[in-house]
Amino acid sequence: MLADLIQNTLDGLTAGAAYALLAVGFTLIFGVLRRVNLSYGAAIMLGVYFATWTSHHFQVGLLALALLTIAGAVLAGTYVERLCFAPHYAARDLRTGASSSSIAAMVASFALWMQFEEAAILALPKHLYAFPPLYSGEPLRLGSFLLRVESLYLLAAAIAVCLLLHTILYRTRFGLAVRAVIDVPMAAQLVGMNVSSVFVRIFALASAIGGLAGFLIAASHEQVTPMLGMWSTIKGMLAMMLGGLGSLPGAVAGGLVLGLLEAHSQWYFGPQMRDLIAYLLIFVLLALRPAWMTRWTTIRSAS
Amino acid sequence: MSALLAIQDVVTAYGKIEALRGVTLAVEEGSITCLLGPNGAGKTTLMMTVAGILRPRSGSIRFGGGEIAGAAPHRIVEQGIALVPENRLVFPHMTVLENLRAGAYQRNDRGGIAADIDRMFVRFPRLKERAAQEGGTLSGGEQQMLSVARALMSRPKLMLMDEPSLGLAPLVVEEIFRIITELHRDGTTIFLVEQNAHMALTVAHHFYLIEQGRITFSGDPGSLAEDEVIHRAYLGSAKV
Repeated sequence: MLADLIQNTLDGLTAGAAYALLAVGFTLIFGVLRRVNLSYGAAIMLGVYFATWTSHHFQVGLLALALLTIAGAVLAGTYVERLCFAPHYAARDLRTGASSSSIAAMVASFALWMQFEEAAILALPKHLYAFPPLYSGEPLRLGSFLLRVESLYLLAAAIAVCLLLHTILYRTRFGLAVRAVIDVPMAAQLVGMNVSSVFVRIFALASAIGGLAGFLIAASHEQVTPMLGMWSTIKGMLAMMLGGLGSLPGAVAGGLVLGLLEAHSQWYFGPQMRDLIAYLLIFVLLALRPAWMTRWTTIRSAS
Repeated sequence: MSALLAIQDVVTAYGKIEALRGVTLAVEEGSITCLLGPNGAGKTTLMMTVAGILRPRSGSIRFGGGEIAGAAPHRIVEQGIALVPENRLVFPHMTVLENLRAGAYQRNDRGGIAADIDRMFVRFPRLKERAAQEGGTLSGGEQQMLSVARALMSRPKLMLMDEPSLGLAPLVVEEIFRIITELHRDGTTIFLVEQNAHMALTVAHHFYLIEQGRITFSGDPGSLAEDEVIHRAYLGSAKV
């Protein structure tokens, strides 16, 4: 009984580490930039597909695959930014906070999600492709329990990315511009910041993080499907919400909590119930404590 | 003296509504030039147009001889123009120190920036006391000081100020105008938009009246009775 509990917890941490890394990228786009970019997960999937396609045609090592995934995701993410979000940086849109322009951008980003899925299916038409494994040895033995080594990689990457982002946001000139642009866009323009260039760079950075997450996830699952986009979006968004929409450490914690929640509900209620219970709990949290979502929404709390 | 800023026939519109209907004026180098007029006359629109936030539909804006009409805001800061905007617009979630650093965003001289921040702290001792506080926690007067200091951090040749006295207590307004004269003495050209015509006329070398998007009077303080200026600045020239 207790043994099951412990093993489930370890399994939950494994899944949760992947969610945590996804949630960090989502937090940057949704929580920090306040942009509803629905194609963020799809851009990650496209990056992974880019690497998968390459590995099916050429002999490439793991590191090269990681770089290809990141490059693909950055290209896709920048494309999304230029196409969906860049048209709305005019002074008028920035000043009013423009709900109509943010809805236009959101809908456009959803269209690109569909575009990315189609592109991926055209390039690799089978439903499922193998992805080279991140680690092919035995799982770690902790007494009688097992822990996948990949989850340690993912968790380490999530924490490292968190620290890196914090340093960028609070210790660099670029970070100062990001925070200024989010705080008061017009004042940022008046001190000489180029809003459009700040946004395209932060989207590229978020997509690079997404690419890293996508590579580590694909390499620990050892397979890819076009559903990776949808999967990343759902898991990343849920973990971000649990973490409080805007806090980087919160995103990591939210990812781990979501992983644990899923692992335990799967054990006690069965695999069909796993997602249902996770979503139900998040629904209850948001219905009873909507303030949870807005608690962290200022950049100041991104520490 | 020559015109540092020369605005010629500028038209700026919001959709079909023309807020500026052909504005022509000049700001002499080394002067304090003031723009007075009632609410909705186009004062803020003119400031936003010069700063590049709004694009003029037609007309020319020359700064130091070069055309800047329609240039992006960051290009205009590069040229040496800084705007202290209406309602101050300090960064509420950044500290006072970070607000000042943001003001120096386009500069690369670390030493010079640090020296200028120290200079701002001497000029505005309250900002030094509150250096680590977030901009949003400051009082209205302190935010105005911060907004002015932030604009100065870019070392502008021309400072645009949009209603710096708005919503401030009389003592603070006096302090703001004392600072304006100090900045002018240090060599900054100032183009000031004001509702407070009385205070503005005490510091201005030259002033313009704007009504319904057009310049309707230009002169030195004293060339028009102050009562008349105040009447037209608040109510427009329509006789009751």
